[in-house]
Amino acid sequence: MKAFRVTSAALAALMMSTALASAGPATVSGPGADPACFTPVAEDTAYFQWEARPGPYKIALVNGFIANDWRVQMIAVAKAYAEQPDVAANIEEFKVISVGEDIAAQIAAANNFIDQGFDAIIINANNTAAFGSVVRKANDANVVVLSFDNVIDDPNQIAINVNQKGLGESAAEFLLENSDADPISLLHVRGPAGQPVDIARNEGFMEVLAASGRQYEVTDVVGNWAPGDSQKVTADAIAAGGQFDGVYVQGGSQGAATALLDGGHPAVPISGETENAFRQLCNAEGLLCQSGGTGPAQSSVTIKTAIAALQGEVIPASIALPTSISYAPFAEGVDVFPELPGSFFAGNNFEACNIGFTAEEIAAQTGENN
Amino acid sequence: MNAPTKAIGSAPTARRSGPRFRLTAAQRGILLAAGIFAVMFAVYGWKQSVGLTPNVINTAANKGALLALVAMAQTLPILTRGLDLSVGAVFVLANCLASSVVVGDPMMTGVGIVVVLIAGLLCGALNGVIIVYGRLQPLIVTLATGAIFFGVSLAIRPQPGGSVNFEFADFMTRSTYAVPHSVILLVMVVVLVWIPYRRSVLGRAAFAIGSAEQAAYMSGVPIERAKVLAYALSGFLAAIGGLLLTALTYSGAAKITIANDYTLNSIGAVVIGGTSLFGGVGSAIGSIFGAFVMRTVGDLLIVFDINPVLQPLFVGIVLLVAVSIGSLRILRIKNKLDLYR
Repeated sequence: MKAFRVTSAALAALMMSTALASAGPATVSGPGADPACFTPVAEDTAYFQWEARPGPYKIALVNGFIANDWRVQMIAVAKAYAEQPDVAANIEEFKVISVGEDIAAQIAAANNFIDQGFDAIIINANNTAAFGSVVRKANDANVVVLSFDNVIDDPNQIAINVNQKGLGESAAEFLLENSDADPISLLHVRGPAGQPVDIARNEGFMEVLAASGRQYEVTDVVGNWAPGDSQKVTADAIAAGGQFDGVYVQGGSQGAATALLDGGHPAVPISGETENAFRQLCNAEGLLCQSGGTGPAQSSVTIKTAIAALQGEVIPASIALPTSISYAPFAEGVDVFPELPGSFFAGNNFEACNIGFTAEEIAAQTGENN
Repeated sequence: MNAPTKAIGSAPTARRSGPRFRLTAAQRGILLAAGIFAVMFAVYGWKQSVGLTPNVINTAANKGALLALVAMAQTLPILTRGLDLSVGAVFVLANCLASSVVVGDPMMTGVGIVVVLIAGLLCGALNGVIIVYGRLQPLIVTLATGAIFFGVSLAIRPQPGGSVNFEFADFMTRSTYAVPHSVILLVMVVVLVWIPYRRSVLGRAAFAIGSAEQAAYMSGVPIERAKVLAYALSGFLAAIGGLLLTALTYSGAAKITIANDYTLNSIGAVVIGGTSLFGGVGSAIGSIFGAFVMRTVGDLLIVFDINPVLQPLFVGIVLLVAVSIGSLRILRIKNKLDLYR
């Protein structure tokens, strides 16, 4: 009780002191720079402008969860982009770290980069709601914060959004379209529990099913967006007597497809991510596949945005990235790349942003910290 | 920050062993963990590009204090030769609850804090009551209640979100004159909770139970009350950790990976801190340093640019080495027969 009294007394004293004024970007009116690349999410999206500062800049990418192919490629692409000559000219130091799933560790890592005087920090958030204090501290220190993939909820930073909910919606639409079963029984191979992208995709998926007017039954398993995990949980679901009319796998799609084939389950429609191996498998086995996502290269769009913001350009607070969805059979050299590893995610080119990579550029990089 | 806790730790020794200076096993554990931590943190500071500025220390303290509180919570059941696999879940539950109730004006915030602490206390007491009066294994009971507590967390906060009184959150996570408030919180918990507990009848009873439960029973030690109190206080400390997490994240999130991570790391921290998993020997103060050692391992991996995929491997190796050093049990055994108990 004493502890409580002391704390509340201190609290009251603190509240009587002046409220902290938060610095940060100026909110300005649009249009912003390069609207083809930095497309605002909505018409009423706010625009930010930081004071231009001389380059080259120190930029850090603070990743959380790492243990899947997508994240590894996302980091590889970020490094490849930072090494492209016209980008490298603007970058003094590009630092990448992955801290695992602990939210406190990710917050601490972001805080350390702010304290080390980095100009911009890019975050793929373990928990979208948890970065309020980081954004506040960064804005006070005049550090540009950007988030992508799992974007931060706080409005005082730049969010690079993929319409994750839309991906869940189109998966549901595809599976409903390609099965007459009523009630329709679906297997949903989900991502790590609680990850914002998983939540958004599931929401879109379930909303379309509910709105379809059809009877449906969804079996959820957790495949962690990793081929091995997805294969195991799909095999388990089939082994447990599951008969499905369609499968939606959020990631590690080739694993789920392999389990389906190996388990002797009828070849039902599959909606998956953009893994090269998944597309190859769909082509080879003649499966009915939908393959959609926004490539890991969104990390490079985020770096481009960071540099523009540091140069004093007007940038939307919330940027919409295009999603690409293709269907089997996939065209070789366009949608599927037999010469590249199976874990490669297609969709690394953002033409509107003048961002593109050769497979060699990405293959030359790793997911390690630097 | 080492000085006050060391002084506290060595006070009873002087009384017990008279003029001859001899450390108890628990105090040796504290010193060893503090030493390992000091060396590791110094290396971290040396490799950090800006050195150990007040901000860097504050960041490390905030992160370490979270695990330290959960590790202290884990220490109490372990001292009674039990184990609490639900500490992580109580920690997460307190976080989810706090993100709903620790809001509004100072009065409401204060009430919210009390509500969260009482909730933690009740969770812990529930564990204790089931273990004592149900005569069940702590491992199984807390595995089950941990799942229940996590379920409640999910019900409170199905998706990450919520908010917290900003002034409270800021106050808990910043530092004054380079002293992180989270460290002050830890010292307060040691002074106001751990030391009084350690010196109370029920606290000493917990140690007696851990050493030899039957002997304690024969000596008329209040076994049942001591065990229930140990688990209840464990829940209370985990809830303080949950409050600090809320202050750090301005929000609540029910994530099973967080609960599991903190539970397992807390056991590691307890062992590094010199507390015996066989019960009866140890200190919550050692667990604090154990927790900071565990956290600094993560920081070192970052400053040395270790491949993140290999990080669990390194954490495992460090844990194994630290545990081996800390629990050279044979050296502290008084009677060879103890090895086979």
